[in-house]
Amino acid sequence: MQESLEHTDESIGLRKLVLYRDVVLTEAGEAPARPAWRASVAAVVRNPWLGSGPSTDLTLEQARVAPALAKLLTDRLIQCLGGVDEIESFGKAAIVGTAGEIEHAGALIHTPYFGNLVREFLQGESIICFADTRAEAGESLIIPLWHKTHAATRSHYQTISARVSDGPRADEIVVIAAASTGPRPHPRIGDRLTDPVVTTETLEVVPS
Amino acid sequence: MSVRRIVTVVEEIHAEGGRELARPARIAVVAAVIENPWAGQGFVEDLGPGIEANASDLGALLAPAVLDALGAPAEAYGKAAIVGLDGEIEHGSALIHTLRFGDHFRKAANATTLLPAVEKRGPAGVVFDIPLKHITDATIRSHHQSFEVRISDAPHPGEIVIALAAAAQGRPQQRLAPLTTEQ
Repeated sequence: MQESLEHTDESIGLRKLVLYRDVVLTEAGEAPARPAWRASVAAVVRNPWLGSGPSTDLTLEQARVAPALAKLLTDRLIQCLGGVDEIESFGKAAIVGTAGEIEHAGALIHTPYFGNLVREFLQGESIICFADTRAEAGESLIIPLWHKTHAATRSHYQTISARVSDGPRADEIVVIAAASTGPRPHPRIGDRLTDPVVTTETLEVVPS
Repeated sequence: MSVRRIVTVVEEIHAEGGRELARPARIAVVAAVIENPWAGQGFVEDLGPGIEANASDLGALLAPAVLDALGAPAEAYGKAAIVGLDGEIEHGSALIHTLRFGDHFRKAANATTLLPAVEKRGPAGVVFDIPLKHITDATIRSHHQSFEVRISDAPHPGEIVIALAAAAQGRPQQRLAPLTTEQ
């Protein structure tokens, strides 16, 4: 199994990797109690289904390409965020170039060949939230992140934007994994445990 | 110096022109999003005290960080100052066009040449290109390159983005004849 995850650039058609990382030191004039590092790693790969029609079976290529991407992207995320134990929230995304189908983007991120492996490598349990789109090169995509073991943890609902200046070309797909080492800078919107009951009956003013 | 955010971008190019590279080409940028030291003060004639208070600290913050992100010796480098809409481009230039700023990078990278720069004013999310040239000989043509950066939430009108860029090599698949062949 391990050997089959060893990627070679050629076999997955890798053109480039773009790593983005940031840390917020002050927000609204104050330092966060826990400054969180957020990062995304994007791989620009050749669309393996270019020129095929909508009835094409996607399983063969997704089983070949997606696991290599899951390993490559999570390795880089873990490396740039200080180790897998530091990572608290995660997300994923894909941008397919204009000659491909949105289904091609989905094929590389929405199946166990990517999602299960990303979850395993990042030691998570939650479903991984996502964004996907078809776009020209240089479009920004905002990737949602949530807690890797407790998805409903509201303090960790956050996003990171990813962008590859010259990708995807029409015949490429950008596949992205993203993670954060903590919550938003000043989380204070409660949680499901602290929420009051809110229904149309409990509200004094009911929106109409 | 008030830093709101530090952003790191690393690009690793594996193939160019349809051909795989012998080794991946790496470029790194580290940017600090800071409060414009002259924000809200109207036209400040003497920028000296603000330069004195900030430029060296910025260089000391960014130079080791960008070399660390690159993870290899730098062969080419560049810098950027992107001023938020309420500031003057002169404010950004003040912070980066001084030896107090650039010497940190030159010393850390064993470099000798002046750092090529982009100075620009724009809204948060503005795209800017950082020019890079060889660290000891700015005429080495293989290392002329630029790197595109965008930070989604910066600079705010009262902020400045200050960035350093480093490349571990020249352009991927560089194959132009050197300048000397035309002289």
